[in-house]
Amino acid sequence: MHYERILIYESGCSEMIEEIVKISDLCVEARSQAETIRAVNSVSLNVLKGEVLGLIGESGSGKTTLIRSILDLHERNVSIVHGEVFFNNELVLDTSKNVNKLASLRGKHVGMVFQSPRASLNPLMTIGALLDEVLRKYGGDKSKADRKKQAVEILNEMGLDGARVYRSYPHQLSGGMCQRAAIALAIATKPELIIADECTSALDVTTQAEVITTLKKLKSDYSTTLIFVTHDILLASELCDRLIVMQSGNVVEVGETKELLRNPQNPYTKALISSVPRWK
Amino acid sequence: MKSKFRSFLSLTLWNKVLLTSGLLLVLTAIFGQFLPVADPNEQSLDYGLLPPFFLEGGTSKHLLGTDLLGRDLFARLIYGTRMTVLIAVSAVFLGAIFGTLLGVIAGFKGGKIDAVISRITEAQLALPFILLAISVIVSRGQSLSTLIIVLAIVGWAQYVRIIRAETLSIRERGFVTGLRVGGISDIRIIFFHILPNVFGTVLSLATLEIGTMILAESALSFLGLGVPAPSVSWGADLASGKDFIDMAWWLVTFPGIAIVLTVLFVNAAGDALRTHFDLRKRMF
Repeated sequence: MHYERILIYESGCSEMIEEIVKISDLCVEARSQAETIRAVNSVSLNVLKGEVLGLIGESGSGKTTLIRSILDLHERNVSIVHGEVFFNNELVLDTSKNVNKLASLRGKHVGMVFQSPRASLNPLMTIGALLDEVLRKYGGDKSKADRKKQAVEILNEMGLDGARVYRSYPHQLSGGMCQRAAIALAIATKPELIIADECTSALDVTTQAEVITTLKKLKSDYSTTLIFVTHDILLASELCDRLIVMQSGNVVEVGETKELLRNPQNPYTKALISSVPRWK
Repeated sequence: MKSKFRSFLSLTLWNKVLLTSGLLLVLTAIFGQFLPVADPNEQSLDYGLLPPFFLEGGTSKHLLGTDLLGRDLFARLIYGTRMTVLIAVSAVFLGAIFGTLLGVIAGFKGGKIDAVISRITEAQLALPFILLAISVIVSRGQSLSTLIIVLAIVGWAQYVRIIRAETLSIRERGFVTGLRVGGISDIRIIFFHILPNVFGTVLSLATLEIGTMILAESALSFLGLGVPAPSVSWGADLASGKDFIDMAWWLVTFPGIAIVLTVLFVNAAGDALRTHFDLRKRMF
């Protein structure tokens, strides 16, 4: 199947942009002994190649559950009960046909950056060893010296002192450096899509700015598609082309960032935007 | 060399004592048979139950006294070191490897695999140690290898329970999810990422288990299921001296002190190793 979409921009020009991810009618349930909760409720969305898509909403709105579904990374008590997922127009999930190839997207096609920069790096391994692990799997038959050179280059591109960070352990780096090292790990395989799951939440504002600069660089230099999950609307407005607003497992509003923030239609989106503190 | 000597001097007195006794223990286990001591199995009924040299009736020929058959207790302690260390370390090593692997697999894979491993572990823990030991030793015959296998069977279940719990926690940490997202295989994650992270816990547990194994070995020796004569072990000596505790206290005291010092040393060594392997503690 081939899915393409014609987007009509405000200016009136039309342009053919391919979808990298298309999710249709996805339902995810979380089970506990007491009850079963529908964490994601019939969500349909698309991610366009090269865009930065922001996924915003309060804590518990289902943002993380939704994006984890793309890689089938759920906990044991969480499962996809219904839906279809296409990646690059190829069917990777169809519950009605019992097709689930989501795990095959990991690594080569989709990378991920997590919330806690330190917890997302093995504390017993140097950044270099971690990068080498990924490059050995995806870097073909390169020699160790070549892999090291490539790893140092990737770290340099992330604005880090590559040679030093390569031989450092996570605890020897600041939070921002760890997060940029984690981004380096995510892009080492040159994935088509990167998912940043609240990757700035655990950082102070200065470090947040560093990470946002790095993510912008990914977009400008590599045209990487990015899904940016956050509850920080200001950060989302700084980085994202489009926004999706979620509430209680449902998508309540989708739109271009500026338009959505300027003219929200849904009462929840209005409340979310009005809750952002402002200077007086 | 100088810096190593300096770091030894910076240790507390207690650690110095433990380190020195540990060093003596290892040297004795390796080179004990070359020391100028009496034959540990040489009997002399005329000199039965002689007290240590510092008590009235004691002699410098038998520094720590003799047992009922007149065998030199000091020589038996020296020769017993190798057997005791060999039994305890081998049993702990086997149990740790088997239990840790099962624990990591159960914790990481979860689901049915976890359920099966956990139930087998619980069944193992429910079996009385002595009953299990008697069954295995009687069916296989009394030997050093059988004793080590029995003790390993007794020990592995503890590792499964603790390492499974530790793995369950590590599995949920971001870096493991990151590795899964990176497409790294489960086997590689288990062997190169989870196992090094549980190594400190395994080491702590193993050091505690060495003491348990020495005591378990002495319990089996007491029942006549330990190392067969003429092999010498502290546990066997402790067990055989129990009947004379009111008239020859040295028979249980000196093997007991040897066991206590060994267990203390092993625990201290475990602490030191854990600090050594924990990079965060070493750096700050």
